[in-house]
Amino acid sequence: MIAAMFSRIGAIARKEFIHIGRDPRMLIAVLVVPVMQLLLFSYAISFDVKNVPTVILDQDKTTASRAYLQTYRSADFFAVKGSIDDLAGVEESFQRGQAQIAVVVPSGFGRSLARGEKAQVAVLVDGTEPNAAQLGQSYALALNQVYGNKILAEWADRQGIDVTQAGRLEPRVRTWYNPERKSADFLIPGLMVVIIMIVTVQQTAVTLVRERDLGTQEQMMVSPLRLPELMVAKLLPWTVLAFLDMVVIAIVGLGFFGIPLRGNVLFLAVGAMFFVFAALGLGLIISALAPSLESANMIALLVAFLPAFILSGFAFPLESIPPVLQGISYLFPARYMIIISRGVFLKGAGFPELWPQLALLAGYSALVIIIASVMYGRRAAR
Amino acid sequence: MPATSDTIAINATGLARDFGDVRAVDAVDLAVERGAVFGLLGPDGAGKSTLIRMLATVLSPGAGDALVFGESVVHTHRRVTPRIGYMSQRFSMYPDLTVAENLEFFARIRGVPKTLRRTRSASLLASMGLAEFAGRQAQYLSGGMKQKLMLASTLMHEPDLLLLDEPTTGVDPVSRREFWRIITDLKAAEKTVLVATPYMDEAERCTAIAFMAEGRILHTGTPAEVKALVPGTLFELTAPDPRVALAVLADMPGVTSAHLYGDVVRVLAAPGGPDAKQLLGHVRASGIEATDAHAAHIDMEAAFAFLAEQDGEVS
Repeated sequence: MIAAMFSRIGAIARKEFIHIGRDPRMLIAVLVVPVMQLLLFSYAISFDVKNVPTVILDQDKTTASRAYLQTYRSADFFAVKGSIDDLAGVEESFQRGQAQIAVVVPSGFGRSLARGEKAQVAVLVDGTEPNAAQLGQSYALALNQVYGNKILAEWADRQGIDVTQAGRLEPRVRTWYNPERKSADFLIPGLMVVIIMIVTVQQTAVTLVRERDLGTQEQMMVSPLRLPELMVAKLLPWTVLAFLDMVVIAIVGLGFFGIPLRGNVLFLAVGAMFFVFAALGLGLIISALAPSLESANMIALLVAFLPAFILSGFAFPLESIPPVLQGISYLFPARYMIIISRGVFLKGAGFPELWPQLALLAGYSALVIIIASVMYGRRAAR
Repeated sequence: MPATSDTIAINATGLARDFGDVRAVDAVDLAVERGAVFGLLGPDGAGKSTLIRMLATVLSPGAGDALVFGESVVHTHRRVTPRIGYMSQRFSMYPDLTVAENLEFFARIRGVPKTLRRTRSASLLASMGLAEFAGRQAQYLSGGMKQKLMLASTLMHEPDLLLLDEPTTGVDPVSRREFWRIITDLKAAEKTVLVATPYMDEAERCTAIAFMAEGRILHTGTPAEVKALVPGTLFELTAPDPRVALAVLADMPGVTSAHLYGDVVRVLAAPGGPDAKQLLGHVRASGIEATDAHAAHIDMEAAFAFLAEQDGEVS
C-alpha cells in the first residue's frame, strides 16, 4: 500500500520535473529571474542616501561664507555640483534635477558673525523625494549645529572662557546588527523571502488548472491516486526549486553584497521549508479555485506580489502601515519568514528567539495545504 | 442466462445528470453484457459523453446508479476504477511528455508494476504501430496517433471494461480501420467495450447498440434489430438535380422520410406505400428528370436518419 503510494507520488513528481525541464521559459522564470530580481532590487531599491546633488549660492562672498560652505564640500552626504548666481537659479536647478539641496548664504553673513550677531543661512530642499529630503534636512541641521558650536567655541576662546568647564551632553548612538546601516543587509534577507513567494505561488497557481485544462485530471480520477498524494507530489519539485533559488540568493547576498550570516543555517532552512510549503499551499488554493490559466496568473500576482512587497515588512516597517493592513498582513506567510530571515542573517537569532514565527509558519503551511486539498476536491467533485 | 454481475458488465438504472437547467442524461436504464462491443449512437448533445463519464466515475450521477461488474459508481466507485479504462473525447495526455513517458506515467499511477509496464508498453506500442514514435513528444503526433496513444494508455492496466468516447472522431479512415481492428482484438480477449460513435459504419461493427437522443436511450438491440425498427422499404433514386427531386418526394403521400445521401435521394416508403416505379413516375410527373430508382438495404445510416427524425417529431 505504502509502496504503491510512494510510487504514485514519485510518478507525478518526476513528471513535474520533466514539465519544468522541457519548458525553457519556466526554467528562466525559476532560475534566472530570481537572481535578476535580486540584483535589480538590491541596486535599485537602495535606502542609502549619499552624494545628494547640492548647489550653493554665496551672496556674501567673504572668508567666513567660504569657510562655512567648505563644510558642505567636505561632507560625503552632499555632492556640491556648483555655484549659482541668484535665487532664480535654485528653482531652475531643482526643476532640471541638477540639485536636490540648495544652500544660500545671504550677504551680511560674515559681518553678522564678526559682530557676534545671529547669522542666517537658508537650506532649501527639494521635497519630491521625501526620504532624501528628510535626510538632507536632518543632515544640514546637524552640520549647522556643529558649525554653530565651532563658532561658539572660537568666540568663547577669544573671550577667555573655558567652555570645557560647562556641563555637556554627549549622546553616543550605536547601531547594532548593521552598524554601517547598509541597505543591502536589510534588503536581501527580506528580498529572498519576497522572491521565493513570487516564484512559488505563481508556478503552483497554474499547475492544477493545467491538469484540468489538459483533461489529465480525469485520467487521474480513474486511478487509485488520492488527493493528498497529488498535493504532496505537486509540492515536491517546487520545494526543491525554491530551496535552490534560496541557496543561490544567499550565495549572491553573502558573496556579492557581503551581507552577514550570523545565525544557525539549519534553523533558517527549517523555517524556509515551512515558508515554502505555505507559499506553495497558497498557490494550490489559487489553482484549485481559478477557472482558467489567465485568472490563476492574475490572482497569483495579486496574492504573491502585493502582500509580499507591502504587507511583509520587506520594505516598510509593518508598525507604520494602517492597522487594517497590519491585520491583513498576518494572513500572508512572508511576514513571519522575513522576521526569521532577518533574525538569522543579521541578529544571529535562532530557535529560542524565533520559535513563535516558526510555529506559526508550520501551522500555516499545514492549514493551507489542507484547505487546498479540500477545495480542489470540491472543484473536481464528480 | 440471468442478468448477474457474472454476465453483465454494466447495469444502469434511472441514471440522470443535470447541468444547470439542462438535463443531459434523463433516467437511463442500460444493460451491457460482458464481452460485448456496445455502440452508443446519437446526435451531438444526445448525452452520450455525460453517460460515459458517469460510468467512468469521473462524474457523479444526479440520480440513479450504475453497477459496473457489480460495484456501484456512486457508492463504491473506487472499486470500479481499477477495472475500467476510460478514453475521453479530447486528447488528454501530456503534450510535452513522450509517447513512452505518457504510457509509463499513467500506468504508474494506475499501480502497474515496473516489469509489466515495460512489457505491456512495448507490446501495445508495437501492436498500434507506435513503436518507432516512442521517443516523440505527444504534441508532435498526428491526430490518429494521438488517439492510439490514448487507447494504449487506457489498456496499460488491462481493464475488463473500456469506455471509449468517440475515439475515432477526426481520425483518418486508415487509422479508424486499425482502431477497430484493435477493438475487435479486445473482444476476442473477452474485454467489454462501450463505445460512443457518430459513425454508422462503426455502429455496424458493434454486437449491440443503443440509440440515444435528448438524454434518453430510445432503442437498444443488435444492429439488425435496430434496423428492423425501420418500417417500410428504402429506395434510392438518381436524378441530375437530386435536391429538386428530394423536395418533390418529401411531400409525396406514403413517403415516411426522404434524405440526400451523397448524390442520390434516399426515400423511405411506408408499408404499402409507393414502389420504385411509382416514385420515378411521381418525380417525372412533376417535370423533373430522374434516371433510376431501386430498392436498397436498410443500413445503419438509414435507420439512424429515420430514428432521429421520428424522435424529433415525438419530442
